[in-house]
Order: sequence, then structure tokens, then C-alpha cells
Amino acid sequence: MRLITHNMLKCHVKNCTNPDRQFPLRFKNVQLEQVVADYNYEFLVRMLPRIDWNALLITTKELGIELPSSIPKDVEKDEAFLEALHVAIIETHVKEGSMVCLGCGHEYKITKGIPNMLLAEHEI
Amino acid sequence: MPQFIVYFAQYHEDFRLAELEALSKLENEATKLVRRGILVRNIIEYWGHGSTYEELFARVKENPEKWADFKTCSFKFNVEAFGRTLTQKEKVAIINTFKFLAFEGPIRMKNPDAEFIVREEYPVTNNALQAETPAMIWFGRLVGQGSRELIDKFDVKKRRYLGNTTMDAELSLVMANQALARPGTLVYDPFVGTGSFLLTCSHFGACSMGSDIDGRQIRGTAGFRLGVDGISANFEQYGVGDRVLDTAVFDICRNPWRSGPMFDAIVTDPPYGVRAGAKRLGRKDGTNPDISFKIVEGVENYKREDYYPPTIPYEMSDLVSDLLEFAAEKLVVGGRLVYWLPTVADEYDPKDIPEHPALKLVANSEQPFRSWSRRLITMEKIAPLESSHKLSTPEHNPAHKNFRDRYFS
Repeated sequence: MRLITHNMLKCHVKNCTNPDRQFPLRFKNVQLEQVVADYNYEFLVRMLPRIDWNALLITTKELGIELPSSIPKDVEKDEAFLEALHVAIIETHVKEGSMVCLGCGHEYKITKGIPNMLLAEHEI
Repeated sequence: MPQFIVYFAQYHEDFRLAELEALSKLENEATKLVRRGILVRNIIEYWGHGSTYEELFARVKENPEKWADFKTCSFKFNVEAFGRTLTQKEKVAIINTFKFLAFEGPIRMKNPDAEFIVREEYPVTNNALQAETPAMIWFGRLVGQGSRELIDKFDVKKRRYLGNTTMDAELSLVMANQALARPGTLVYDPFVGTGSFLLTCSHFGACSMGSDIDGRQIRGTAGFRLGVDGISANFEQYGVGDRVLDTAVFDICRNPWRSGPMFDAIVTDPPYGVRAGAKRLGRKDGTNPDISFKIVEGVENYKREDYYPPTIPYEMSDLVSDLLEFAAEKLVVGGRLVYWLPTVADEYDPKDIPEHPALKLVANSEQPFRSWSRRLITMEKIAPLESSHKLSTPEHNPAHKNFRDRYFS
């Protein structure tokens, strides 16, 4: 699972609704893999407004990845920034491990890069 | 003002204009307009037409200034007939009648600078003999070709991984055009199955994501051609792995997406309940909820690796309503929802399709089968979602309600 996707996911267990706790989900015991991918300028620029930057900073810090603390002005011309973003959100894959909710403690397992986000019946 | 003739394929008739309209949102230049077209063969710059060759020549001769651009370049002529087969001899004879154009350049069969097309339309006859003379003849210069060759490239029989609900290549490609999938956009399929739409949308440059309540198809532990690690095998096969971003396992009714618009398109073939059981998380009345909490091998059942939460059937009209509400929230303005709606053909009413103030109906194309049909519906988000917005469902029972039961009756 790529970090761009993780940035779009929150905990959805019944009654787990505190926005500060249910998002972003925290990684636990993860195995990462860097996979080179074609640099997709148009996509990065178009997606940037949809990314929660503060959440991304929390996550990348957790994983030991460096990103600037804020999005630069004239970002469309800032190649260095966009390339760092590309490496972080497109090329970084979480292969195994889990995502934990700080609010309710639910653990979502990731296996072979695919997260399982089915809920048990008492959680819906 | 130049005029053009678009020549469509004779398949999926009800889908052709809708696809062309979608393509016109992506390109406004004739040469590029039909480039991605799957139901379009080519587009021709109009030079003349007539019910006889004399009429045709008279019209062509009205604009001799057009011919000057092509006096010395390499060229070729193609003669095509619809409703009749012409012999090579007949074709050559027809080409020779255009000598008045006085082109001086070399004739080149492969990659000429200019290609001219004569197209004869023969009337449909009831008897076995073909009609002798055409009803109409069209003439012009080829300016663009469609992409029908992609149908063969994406043929499901060639895919490394497929399942029994995999959508055929031709329609999967048309859906990518309806969705306006293009570089920079993000497409999502909430019933991803074997990933056909992620494949075709990402082929046209979009990035894509998919989810499904059934992880087995995604992971490759169910479906045909096991042992290839699931649908990622197809994305690698077609070189779109960099743009198919992720797949995940969850119930779209209980989805973990963060709130607010995030997708440029939602493209999906929801389960109708006929082959793939349409299901959602939940427990039927009268069954035992304690099973989830039972301790098995020291761990509560619901925490075990192989635990499948109980499911209940997902009725079709509920599914469609939920899908529209999801799209109204999660699409960006200008984004598109493209989905299949199964229906009982002679009971269908256009009012069956629910309406939402944030979504506008853009296209509705029918693919008929024997007793039922399905419709490819395209909707576009035209305004931000407001709390006052309410989905309006038809007062009558739509033809797709309880579709599974109607199909088998």
C-alpha cells in the first residue's frame, strides 16, 4: 500500500469518530519497500490539494522519511519538492504490518501490500 | 467552416454518440478527437457527397482551392462499401474517376501524406442479391483514426488473471472514455473484482484505486489462472503498475475513506446478485452473533487471520442509491460516475434512475440481452455537495429492484 492511499484512509469503526484520533492511522511493525515508478508530474500537482499535509508529515516522520513542513509557494515549479513527494507517496510501499487507530485501538492488517479493512460485526 | 464525417463501428450502437460526446470533452481538434475512440473507426474531412457520382463530383468541384494543398504530396485512395462487397477491379475503376483532382504526387500505399476515402452506402435489400447502385456516396480526406485495435490488445483471454465477472475489453475501454480518464486524474472502482477498469483507465493515463468486499479476487486466491498473485499480474502485463496505485479489501457501505471530494471518476460494474453475490457486512436475523467472539486457539474469532465477517444480501436499488450518494460526496466537481444498471427491459422507465441535485445525467446507453438489459449510466458532479441535498428515488418500484429475483424468474 502506498502512502498516498494511506493518507486518504481513516478508522471507520462504529462510534470511533474523534477526527484527531481516527486519522491518520499509525503504522505498526511495518515492512517497507521502495519501488521505482515513473514520475507523474500532472498527477502530483493535481492531487496536492487533496492530500492532508499535516497527516502526511506525521506518517512520514513515523517511518523516517523527510518532507518539508509546508508546501512551498509556486509548487508547480519546485521540481525538488515534487520529486521528494513522488518518492514518499508513490514509490514507498507498505508491504506487511498493520495500521492502528489511536481512538479505538483497532488494527487493520496489511498483507502483500493489500490492507484488510473489513470490520467485525460489533464494529458496524 | 470545415465539416467532418465520423464513421462508427457497427457494434454497441446505443453507446456510440455518448462516447463521441465524452471524447469531445477531451479534445476539440478533429485530428485528435477520435484518437481514443473505441466505437469510432475514423473521422474524415468532408469534400463532397451525392446520390450519384455526378452529384458528388459537382460538390467536390465547388471547392477546388482545397485540392492545391495535396497537389504534390504522396497520397492514396481507399474505396469502401457498406452493404456490398466491391471487387478490386471495381475499386480501381472508381478511383480513376477522381482523376480530375489532378494530384501529381506519388501514390504510396503505406503512410502516405494524404489518404482519401470514397465510401459507398448501399440500400438494405430484402432479397439475396446485393443492390447494384449505391444510395449515397461520401468522399473526403482521412484526418483521424480511432483505437479499435485496443480491443484485441486488452482481450480478456490474453490476461494473466481473470474471473467470471471480468468485463469484456471493448466495453471496459468505452467506460474509460465515458469517465474521461486521462493523465493527472484519480479513478476509483468500489467493486473492483479483477480490475478491468483500473486497467483501461490507467492505460489512458489516469491513476487508479480499487476496493472490494471479497479479497480473494484481488489477491488471486479465487478466479481463473491461480498462482499469479492476483490482479497485480494484469497491471504488470500491460505496463500500468506505476499508475494503479492500490487495491484494498472493504465493504463500500462501511468504507474507510476520509470525508470530502477526492476522486475524478468512479467507474464500476456493481454486482447484480446473479453470478457474484451482491453482499454487504451484516448479520441475518436469527443467526448467532456470539460466533464472532468465540475464542479459537486462544484468540477471539474476529481477530483471527482467516475470519470472514458475516454478510447479508445487498439489494440492487439500495446499492444504486448508495452509489449515487457516495459519488455525490466523493467526486470532485466535474468528476464522473460511470456505472452499469441492470434492468428488466420491458419494465424499464427513465425515471428508474435516482436523481441527486449534485449530479447530472450525461449518458444512458443500453446493452440488450434476451430478457434483460443493462445500461451504462454516466453522471457528472455539477456542484459541491450541500447538507440540504437529498437523493430522490422513484416513487414506483424501479425495474432493477430485487434484480436478482427478477432475473431468475
